[in-house]
Amino acid sequence: MQTTNEDFSARASKALGDASLQQSVSNLKRGFVAARARAVAALPEYEAMRDAGAAIKDHTLDNLDFYLERYEREVVRLGGHVHWAADADEACRIVREICARAGAKTIVKGKSMVSEEIALNEALEADGLEVVESDAGEYIVQLAKEAPSHIVMPTVHKTTEDIADLFHEHHRAYGFTDRVTDAAELIGQVRTILRDKYFAADVGITGANFLVAETGSNIIVTNEGNGDLTSTLARVHIVTAGIEKVVPTLNDAAVLLRLLARSALGMEITSYTTLSTGPRRSGDLDGPEEYHVVLVDNGRSKMLAGAFRPMLRCIRCGACMNHCPVYLSVGGHAYGWVYPGPMGAVLTPMIARHEKASELPHACTLNGRCQQVCPVKIPLPDLLRRLRHEQWEAGFIKSKVRWGVGLWAWFATHPAVYRTATRLAAAVLGRLGKSNGRMRRLPLAGGWTAGRDMPAPQGTTFHAAWAKRNQQR
Amino acid sequence: MNGTRRDDMLARIREALGDRQRTPEAVEELEQRLTRPPTGPRPRLDADRLGQFVAKAEANLIKVERIASLQMLVPAVRVLLPSTSDAPDISVAPELEHLGWPSTWHVNFGAGRKIEPLSVTMAVAGIVETGSIILRSSPASPTTLNFLPDVHVVVLRTSDIVDYPEDVWARARSESEDWPRTVNIISSPSRTADVGGIIVRPAHGPKSVHLMLCDG
Repeated sequence: MQTTNEDFSARASKALGDASLQQSVSNLKRGFVAARARAVAALPEYEAMRDAGAAIKDHTLDNLDFYLERYEREVVRLGGHVHWAADADEACRIVREICARAGAKTIVKGKSMVSEEIALNEALEADGLEVVESDAGEYIVQLAKEAPSHIVMPTVHKTTEDIADLFHEHHRAYGFTDRVTDAAELIGQVRTILRDKYFAADVGITGANFLVAETGSNIIVTNEGNGDLTSTLARVHIVTAGIEKVVPTLNDAAVLLRLLARSALGMEITSYTTLSTGPRRSGDLDGPEEYHVVLVDNGRSKMLAGAFRPMLRCIRCGACMNHCPVYLSVGGHAYGWVYPGPMGAVLTPMIARHEKASELPHACTLNGRCQQVCPVKIPLPDLLRRLRHEQWEAGFIKSKVRWGVGLWAWFATHPAVYRTATRLAAAVLGRLGKSNGRMRRLPLAGGWTAGRDMPAPQGTTFHAAWAKRNQQR
Repeated sequence: MNGTRRDDMLARIREALGDRQRTPEAVEELEQRLTRPPTGPRPRLDADRLGQFVAKAEANLIKVERIASLQMLVPAVRVLLPSTSDAPDISVAPELEHLGWPSTWHVNFGAGRKIEPLSVTMAVAGIVETGSIILRSSPASPTTLNFLPDVHVVVLRTSDIVDYPEDVWARARSESEDWPRTVNIISSPSRTADVGGIIVRPAHGPKSVHLMLCDG
């Protein structure tokens, strides 16, 4: 997928004025945040699990070469194939070659963020193949020719009416001529259409939530059952997965699965957790005849080397974005690539290069909620701060911003001037916003106040308040 | 071609990790961790394990029934059939073929079909922690029967109910060197919330799951 995050600010401004988007993200805030909080509160062992989850990921990353080789050995022992892809192009080429050898025409896909990352659909469609997403949410954004706006809930930006229009336009071809607006009927159409596709598919492609070195299995979790029909009915099953998905054993996977469902959906477990290991065995009546895994690096080994290694612990639950005030204000599309929110603000510059995503690490208030809810304790604010620093050093920061920061630095290192200036500003702004404690408009900051109010200062500075407090003691 | 790609990628990973040589002791430690995997922190369970299992399954909208023996399965399935004049057309996992299915029914003892009103399969375990059912693929237990039917009937012996998924892994490890092709942990009927955040059942899999708990 093309990175379009050069102009994050422009898209963020547009999103702030989009009433329908604001409505959908506020639903997300209420639903997911509350559900996660309930699930966590119900589990006294939760904090211990987070520590264990982070430790498992760190141990695995520390020995990643060992576990990947062991994983490969087990897959091959049971008749599967493992392919190694250094970057997106190589990964797409490998999948295209497997499809070509299989004589494939129709491909059904389960949800896979790494396949979005490597722009697999576009590559396969360029070869003239029909590619159908089977997760209802991914299916909807595919029809709309959009990117997912959330890694767990791809359609969080779409209303039922949007989807009704979309299906009315596209499902005529399948005999559904009436426009329906009932969620169950809309999903019923997807079920009917996809049922035929599963049986027609030559190749089924899924992602992996975990790869297990001990057994050579890939694990996927879904609520719909789409991933299972995708991997079981096609003649060829291809798994696309980042190299960081491997865990040592099934016991380790169990720890991470407990964290994943709670963090993503506020549930103890999803409807389906499925372990797939190799192609069909002798005597089996179903299952794929070929089983392939494509292990994708695409910038991950670079992250492994340095300060960004903790980002590779990520299990793609989406809790960081559900709790991020910036994501909840601008939605996923403003981030311009497949990974939105705090995790995306780190991953996008690392995978899709700094120069293409220079604004993302700055779209953060450093409030730290993402780190507090991260099931594997990724220090997201620290990583974002470090990215800002690296961008500054590399000269990716716009001259206007550099000039502004330089000015602030001068003030901050000249306390007398700083105090006089802030005293003056606090007094003036305090008087301006006296009536209701907020300011709807601010000179020179019209863009900022268009989407939110500025809280008015109390009329005095922090320094003055602090000094007064100490005097009173 | 694949060989060099693989070696290059592994070399890059080793370089990122500092290119240190693992001592034989370190390798032995990693091997030990694989063969005797540690267990992480787990939710505490109620003293009444069976009660907790049933409560969790029902909370996830699995319908739980008790049957005295496998011989009671056919009558229990009969109750679930739609009341049409046509002869029932269902699928049954080959491992349950011997249970005396009525000759007037059309019963497919094979893989799942595109239109599949009801299927009957046998679970290898139940998990108290989450009220989940575990199914394992084999020639006598096709995986598609777990996902294609509108109504999924699963049989589980109460003696196969264990505390945690880790207990299922331990049992499977001891039973065979080769891990099964497919292991399904099923915890509720199929659902989605991708249209307007409204929960709809089913999405692609079964609309309802009936668990027949069999004594023994």
